[in-house]
Amino acid sequence: MSPAEQAHMSKTASPPRQIIEKKQMQDFMKLYSGLVERCFMSCAQDFTSKALTGKEGTCVQNCTDKFLKHSERVGARFAEHNAEQMQGR
Amino acid sequence: MSFFGLGGGQNAQPTGAINPAQIEMAVAELDMITDVFNRLVNSCHAKCIDAKYHEPDLNKGEGVCIDRCTAKFFEVNKKVGERMQAMGGGSGGATFQ
Repeated sequence: MSPAEQAHMSKTASPPRQIIEKKQMQDFMKLYSGLVERCFMSCAQDFTSKALTGKEGTCVQNCTDKFLKHSERVGARFAEHNAEQMQGR
Repeated sequence: MSFFGLGGGQNAQPTGAINPAQIEMAVAELDMITDVFNRLVNSCHAKCIDAKYHEPDLNKGEGVCIDRCTAKFFEVNKKVGERMQAMGGGSGGATFQ
């Protein structure tokens, strides 16, 4: 669960744990499949061989790392924004 | 985090005797927040991250772009919400905050 969501959770009435865990699982699978699609589209270019080339392999690694860092940073800004909103009310 | 079912003690079933309407509200809110977050991540990734992937780290420009992109996204979110509320439909104007 993103930090933003966690920050928000404590304020609201929380649903039971099974529901949250199910949602977390769904989020994770969505993240995973989304990341595969994103990095495949950006990195897989050469279809003259069935294995990923070295270049494509590093591209996929970089793509994954970068996306997770991106998502982390967005999450931090999101949490800050949420916190501000909470104070404003 | 405190869950309804786990704090009481008397009630053995975690899901028993909980107001279902309240849970539904909480779940809907969680869904909405998750949705906003995912859209934010996707939009700013499309706008800020170079798809060549020469390095695994965010470079300085990308980092700054992300910060500005998120701030702008929230502003757009707010503006659109306000406009929709002004249009008066009422039903559609779900501003998240």
